[in-house]
Amino acid sequence: MINNIIVAIIAIIAAPIIGGILSGIDRKISARLQNRYGPPVLQPFYDFFKLLGKQRITVNQTQMVYVLGHLFFAIASLVMLVLGQDLLMLIFVLAFSGISLIMGAMSVRSPYSKIGAQREIMQMLAYEPVLLLMVVGIYLTTKSFMINSIFKHETPLIYSLPLVFFAFLYVLTIKLRKSPFDFSTSHHGHQELIKGLTTEFSGPQLALIELTHWYDLVLLLGLISLFFANPIWVGILIALGSFFLELIIDNISARVTWKWMLKATWLIGIGAAMTNIIWLYLKA
Amino acid sequence: MEPYLIIAAILVPSLSAALCYLIRKAAIRNFIVVLTSIAMFAVAGGLVKLLMESGGKLTVDFEHMPLDIGYIIKALDFCLFLYIAYIGFRFRKPLVIILTMFQFVLWFLFEIYGLFGTVHEPVAFVIDYLSLIMVLLISIIGPIITVFAIGYMKEHEHHLHLKISRQPRFFMILFVFLGAMNALVMTNNLSWMYFFWEVTTLCSFLLISHDGNSESVRNGLRALILNSIGGLAFIAAIVVIYTAKGTLSIEEISSAQAFASSTALLPVGLGLLCFAGFTKSAQFPFQSWLLGAMVAPTPVSALLHSSTMVKAGVYLVVRMAPAFSGTLLGKIVAVVGGFTFLAGSALAISQRNAKRVLAYSTIANLGLIICCAGIGSNVALGAAILLIVFHAVSKGLLFLCVGTIEHGIGSRDIEDMQGLMRRMPFTTVITVIGMISMLLPPFGVLVTKWLAIEAAVDSPLVLMLIVLGSAFTVVFWAKWIGIVLTMSYRAKYNIEKLPVTVKGSLAVLLLAVLGCSIGIVPFFNSFVKPQLMQFGILGNSRLGGDSLGLHLEGMNGALMGGFASILFFAIVIVLMITIPAFLRITKPESVKQPYLCGENTAEMKGLEFTSPGDKVEPVVVRNYYLSGFFGENNLTLWTNIVASAIILIMFGAVIG
Repeated sequence: MINNIIVAIIAIIAAPIIGGILSGIDRKISARLQNRYGPPVLQPFYDFFKLLGKQRITVNQTQMVYVLGHLFFAIASLVMLVLGQDLLMLIFVLAFSGISLIMGAMSVRSPYSKIGAQREIMQMLAYEPVLLLMVVGIYLTTKSFMINSIFKHETPLIYSLPLVFFAFLYVLTIKLRKSPFDFSTSHHGHQELIKGLTTEFSGPQLALIELTHWYDLVLLLGLISLFFANPIWVGILIALGSFFLELIIDNISARVTWKWMLKATWLIGIGAAMTNIIWLYLKA
Repeated sequence: MEPYLIIAAILVPSLSAALCYLIRKAAIRNFIVVLTSIAMFAVAGGLVKLLMESGGKLTVDFEHMPLDIGYIIKALDFCLFLYIAYIGFRFRKPLVIILTMFQFVLWFLFEIYGLFGTVHEPVAFVIDYLSLIMVLLISIIGPIITVFAIGYMKEHEHHLHLKISRQPRFFMILFVFLGAMNALVMTNNLSWMYFFWEVTTLCSFLLISHDGNSESVRNGLRALILNSIGGLAFIAAIVVIYTAKGTLSIEEISSAQAFASSTALLPVGLGLLCFAGFTKSAQFPFQSWLLGAMVAPTPVSALLHSSTMVKAGVYLVVRMAPAFSGTLLGKIVAVVGGFTFLAGSALAISQRNAKRVLAYSTIANLGLIICCAGIGSNVALGAAILLIVFHAVSKGLLFLCVGTIEHGIGSRDIEDMQGLMRRMPFTTVITVIGMISMLLPPFGVLVTKWLAIEAAVDSPLVLMLIVLGSAFTVVFWAKWIGIVLTMSYRAKYNIEKLPVTVKGSLAVLLLAVLGCSIGIVPFFNSFVKPQLMQFGILGNSRLGGDSLGLHLEGMNGALMGGFASILFFAIVIVLMITIPAFLRITKPESVKQPYLCGENTAEMKGLEFTSPGDKVEPVVVRNYYLSGFFGENNLTLWTNIVASAIILIMFGAVIG
């Protein structure tokens, strides 16, 4: 019990540091790819503290509550991961975190944030089934929903779940809101949607949303590494490689429409995951 | 002691029904309603105590009674046929008459003439934990909705400008309905159950058509016809099962051993019973009657959707589940339910009418219950029973909320609910908690969805249906919650003026929703777990409950999954406490207008912007409804065809 609490606390402290450095590296490499010099690697932390110190402006009084919900449930799902809890429930808790942000964006009377929220719901509609199918695939391999049992499994999951892993990588781009699927909150504030989902958040609220994003990043990379555990260091290396791949995709692709995304994800993502799952059934 | 309590559970509401009809004074009638509610609570509490003391099964026989109840029920059954046929004549619906005739002929040949052998009456009442859970739902949620109806119907009739109040009739039918439901879930005699089944069919017709206008009569008749088809299947099932097994005892028919030692006829009978359950629980393709039922006054929809009527159907399927657990029939029943879950959730996305969204969500959840019953493993049946409870409580609350909102803003359109927080803060907060309890962890409905997926992993098709369906569920709830929570800067809150009965019943149901979800472990351990033990289904995993939440364990005791839901309530409660805190600490000067590309007008709420040519225009943003894909015009026909095909496959497979 005491051990669990210590592990959870370490994860809660370490995750944002890792996540922040990763997004610093992301910005640096993206800049180099675009022939720019780029900000220092620690820039996300400078931004974070600057935002925290800003004036507390708000559009209505309840926005901050949704941001806190977004943050707390992201932390909760990370804790579930490091403690090796039920993977299926982890996905649901993560969904609560996402929905909380959507509620925050919809709670204000702003057309931009409302449209962003609608598009974010469509993104959830696209990635949620794939995440659930991923869990089922893992269950069929390890005969358990607990993350603990993945580490006890002899062979890495990737041997039996290659297509599920591919589908997961595919929806990772959507979940991280990277291009070509960055239509709920665009990278650049001068596009048709302004900043979409996050248009009406400012100062400390925005800082907390950024913090949550770091938690999400670490969590998702953690899920990638599950496919290659054990040994765990292989998993971590592959996760970092996947992150680099996402970054390249982000830089070389243009935005698509959400309708295209929905069709493509359901066809490719669910199709690939289901194919994999069906062959596992037939084998069992 | 037992016989009296059982009789009380049926007769107390029936007696109040008669009193409500006879006494024309509103104040006295309201007093009777409240008194009956308290009496029903007490009877339910008494049954809980008795069952706990008896070790999980109460058997009551009425053999030594001065008059034979069997004959009374036969006589009442005959009157019921006559009355339904009369309805058919009165509204010129030959189909109603034909369906009733068929039922009558089968019933007469079986019960009176004895064509299929002399009928041996089984033990009259057997109450186990499943029956008890149903009695608790009916006797707690039912009376709360009835109390809500006191305030609601007054307002309702005020809107309709009625000269003579029709409330005596209304409350009479409500109480008959509750009495019949109580009897239905307690009886052990399949042919008695058929009688109570038909009583609920009749009551639902009378309640749906209560307002008496052409639309409500049309929808009421549709409900009557579809449920009569189910009734016909039921009486046919009785004949087939009696021929196969020579008993009408539900206890014997539904036991797992019965199936193994039976002829090929029993699966056909069970299939017919499931079919009857599908019609009553509005599974696709029979969903249209439940959608039509929304024309009735709100307490009726709340009652039909939560604890009564539709729950009779799923009760029957869950009750029979041990008999077909693991068989071909079970697998196809799971597909029927799973398909309804998917189709209902998809259609809900395209709906703007709040009551229709709720109706589709009900249909979808019933589908999930039937799906779990079809899967039939220990975990799946646990999920089915838990979902019956959680869905009944949350949906009862949500229907009452929507009814209250409708009276408050004069619309059922979801888009009209923007800024509801300012106009109806009390109702809005309760509505939002109700909706969240249908969707998000750590509330009970999500816990059961989680269990359903974990139980469905062994059949890919069913799994696929549930996974896609649950993704759709997220969409329509999230859109609606977002609209309701939309609020402007520094809203001035109205103090809502609601009748005390309305306010009281909303508050009590809200407490029930929270109580069920927080108390999931003790509830599971004391009611559901013993029932699962009695079902006696062995599999590779079983459901357990410890201090923090439910978990799955393999037969060797290894942990396969689990969720400490209680811990998450701590986070939810912290968030709930922070809301008023943030409302207080936000300074007026730090509140800004939403961003409208710098074209805001002078008002601070962001409701208007300056368009080209300096005209002031309102800002209008609508939700996505995707009716081009999920619309009823696109989907209803195809889903009905597919659902009919699945049911045909079911019968084809069990008969052949």
